[in-house]
Amino acid sequence: MFFLFFVILPTIYILSYAITDWGAIEQHVLDDPAMLDLILNAISASFQIAGIVTVIDILAGLPMAWILVRKEFRGKRFLDTLIDMPLAVPTAALGFSSAIFFAVTPESLAAPSFALNAVTSPYLLIILLHVVFSYPYMVRSLSAILVQIDQTYETAGRTLGASALSAARTITLPLFRAGLVTGIILCFARSLSETGGTMIALATMANPGNFATGPTLIGDWKHDLDSNPDLAAPLAFVSILLIILSLLLLVVLKIVIMKVHLPMGRIWPRPERLFSRGWFPKTKDGLAVLFLVVFVLLPSFFIFTYVASATPVSFDYGPFMDSLFYSFVIAAVVTVIDISLGVPLALYIAKNRKGKLPEVLDVLVNVPLIVPTAALGYSLGVFWTGQNIIPTFDALLIILAHVAFTYPLVVRNVAGAVEEVDPSYEETARTLGAKPVQAFRRVLFPMIKGSILAGAIMAFTRSLGETGATQAVVASAVTAPVYIVKLIKSEAFYTAGLACIVLIIVSYVAMLALRYVTNGRRSR
Amino acid sequence: MPTVKLVKLSKSYGDIKAADNLDLEVKDGEYLCVLGPTGAGKTTLLRMISGLLAPDKGKIFFNGKDYTGKEIEERKAALLSQTYALFPQLTVEENILFGLDIRGADERTKEQVLISMLDLVRLSGRSDAFPRELSGGMQQRTALARALASGADLLLLDEPLRALDARLRISLRTELRSLAKTLNMTAIHVTHDQDEALVMADRVAVIRDGRILQIGTPKEVWDEPATPFVANFVGQSNFFTGEVLQSSPLTLLRTPEGTVLKGRPSDLPQGTSAVLGVKIGNTELTKERKGYLKARVERIIFEGRNLHVDMVMDSGQRISSKVPSWRKGKIVAGDMVEIYWEESKGTVFPMPPSGLENELKVE
Repeated sequence: MFFLFFVILPTIYILSYAITDWGAIEQHVLDDPAMLDLILNAISASFQIAGIVTVIDILAGLPMAWILVRKEFRGKRFLDTLIDMPLAVPTAALGFSSAIFFAVTPESLAAPSFALNAVTSPYLLIILLHVVFSYPYMVRSLSAILVQIDQTYETAGRTLGASALSAARTITLPLFRAGLVTGIILCFARSLSETGGTMIALATMANPGNFATGPTLIGDWKHDLDSNPDLAAPLAFVSILLIILSLLLLVVLKIVIMKVHLPMGRIWPRPERLFSRGWFPKTKDGLAVLFLVVFVLLPSFFIFTYVASATPVSFDYGPFMDSLFYSFVIAAVVTVIDISLGVPLALYIAKNRKGKLPEVLDVLVNVPLIVPTAALGYSLGVFWTGQNIIPTFDALLIILAHVAFTYPLVVRNVAGAVEEVDPSYEETARTLGAKPVQAFRRVLFPMIKGSILAGAIMAFTRSLGETGATQAVVASAVTAPVYIVKLIKSEAFYTAGLACIVLIIVSYVAMLALRYVTNGRRSR
Repeated sequence: MPTVKLVKLSKSYGDIKAADNLDLEVKDGEYLCVLGPTGAGKTTLLRMISGLLAPDKGKIFFNGKDYTGKEIEERKAALLSQTYALFPQLTVEENILFGLDIRGADERTKEQVLISMLDLVRLSGRSDAFPRELSGGMQQRTALARALASGADLLLLDEPLRALDARLRISLRTELRSLAKTLNMTAIHVTHDQDEALVMADRVAVIRDGRILQIGTPKEVWDEPATPFVANFVGQSNFFTGEVLQSSPLTLLRTPEGTVLKGRPSDLPQGTSAVLGVKIGNTELTKERKGYLKARVERIIFEGRNLHVDMVMDSGQRISSKVPSWRKGKIVAGDMVEIYWEESKGTVFPMPPSGLENELKVE
């Protein structure tokens, strides 16, 4: 119930605007070619970028997932952690960091001389940036599935005479679909909805022109809404388009990937045998690692070198610390709400797999994941301010918005974990005399604790780093990422860099702390 | 120590009947083995008794009281599953004390039970180990101790020895049975292994397609099978069809080829078609005297203690026999042999309505 009313309903509420205020849309958008052009360009840019980013992620992520799962070497754990690191960096900081690294930046920024300083097209810059933060998601989803695929299939293929590449391609890859679907949806959705990092990257580079993506439009316009109420219609229009298109895309993607059979059956024994030995596999692995370093890790942490090399400027920590504190409180409250309401839903979904309702809920849970957060935030803001059920404090609205898109992360994680646990544990506990609550607390809970915490970490860091939804729901809100956006727009680059580093460190420490708690309890 | 009584229990999954008007009575302190092929409804039966599964129809009585709708934890019926389901995050000690902890037992009781249980299952040195650090046999014993310590008085065992290697499985049979007997528990043990059932049980219930075909002591089930299926599932049998000539003091059966076979008395009317079953271990073969039937030896498989002899008769029907190993070399493939059996070892059944082949099918 909570889920439907507080998450799904507000998410798609804005769609009703299309019906009730069609006139306004017609007047301000459809009859205004310049506006219409702007919107369509932005949205098509969003989707193109997301598409390209996803393809890059798959191509570069697959060999990396393979290395992580199938290879044994020293430093594997280290590599494993390295891949997760960009996840700890809020996208706002990532955007700044990557832009300094890749893009041609204005003089006033004084980027270090060893930055690439090469990219002039905002389109390309955004693609590079989105690869940085979506790549870990792809690698994670792929390797999660790869671990589960029994290697004996491949071994059997090899003993029957297939070369390593043939066996991998024809036997293991087709089993990959589920992981590929998850990875594609995650990456696509992340890229589509990213706001903060994109805005910052655009503000950082020299001459971005008037390039915009769907979510950055929402962010900017919501900001100007007070001074220019005519923007309400275009805002709604962009949000509606984004929501509908992304939902449509989710459906299409699922169908295409599940139904279309790639011509995997054919085998070219000689070339594949050739590619299975010698220089090719080594080159492939080398390239995968190189990609990780140059396109993911360096951009993520380039900010440190920037701040180290730039000339210090005095920085008034006061307002930033306030915003950071604000962000933290919100992220913490959001995480608590997610856990206390997400775990019961996850249990319900996981334990009643066969029913109709859980199945529907399972699909609905994905909706806030795929809908761009800026559109979601705007829709949510309109929904809650338009009613009188709850008071509309800024903080409350932001919390509700953040819960809407982080809630699915917790539900997914926990539901997945519960399904993995053999039901005979709980059943045995019951026959030993445990009441249902006792069986859960004493037996099931300790087994899924890790996943609950993993869900909490994801929810917490996502909330901490979110810009788009925050801006879209309450234009004047000042969370840490929003504050950094502001700093950069006012060209206070050095201070922004420092703020980014503080944000990175703080969220990394929070993540480590949570992980420590998880591991500490697990080894007990 | 309760008696368990199941009355007309039914449960179906779609078209499949996992329990079909099933009646069963278990005596106080009895060790009952439910024996049947995979998919016969064995696990469903245990799950219904434990309360994990609600029957579609029928009633379950413990000690004469209706327990059909009781909560799982109120039944005091501990289930030992195939995989043991030892809680991985708890040590052996914590696993064993799980049931007592849940019921809020005091420290002294827990201490006493723990010591006696560890002693009973010979795990005294390993109380701090985690399940994954134990061997299969130790895990099995821990699970058993946990079930015994929970205060349950009915033990439900779902193929408890399945995951163990052959030697350990055999040594644990007697151990398991004597533990249940020592503690005076009623035990229902489900298995598909006929040797296990015959060795361990006070009584064996043979189940198929959700119905109990026969319940009796191991000897009864072995020597006086109620149906051809039981005769074949509990120790393989040879079957011969024919027409009943007389039914006492011996049953005489005439085969289509005109040979007359002898078996134990029955109450089949003269002239009906019937099936005579003989355990392959009771099917004897000789070259010295005249038997009921002639057959040609096709192949001989050396099994250590016994020789397994496959033969084919003139009619094309195949039969098998087990003979002691010392006869190796005295019979060779291609020999013509005479087949006979003691009259008391032949059991005569009415012809099954679905035909002999369907009756014997194990799906």
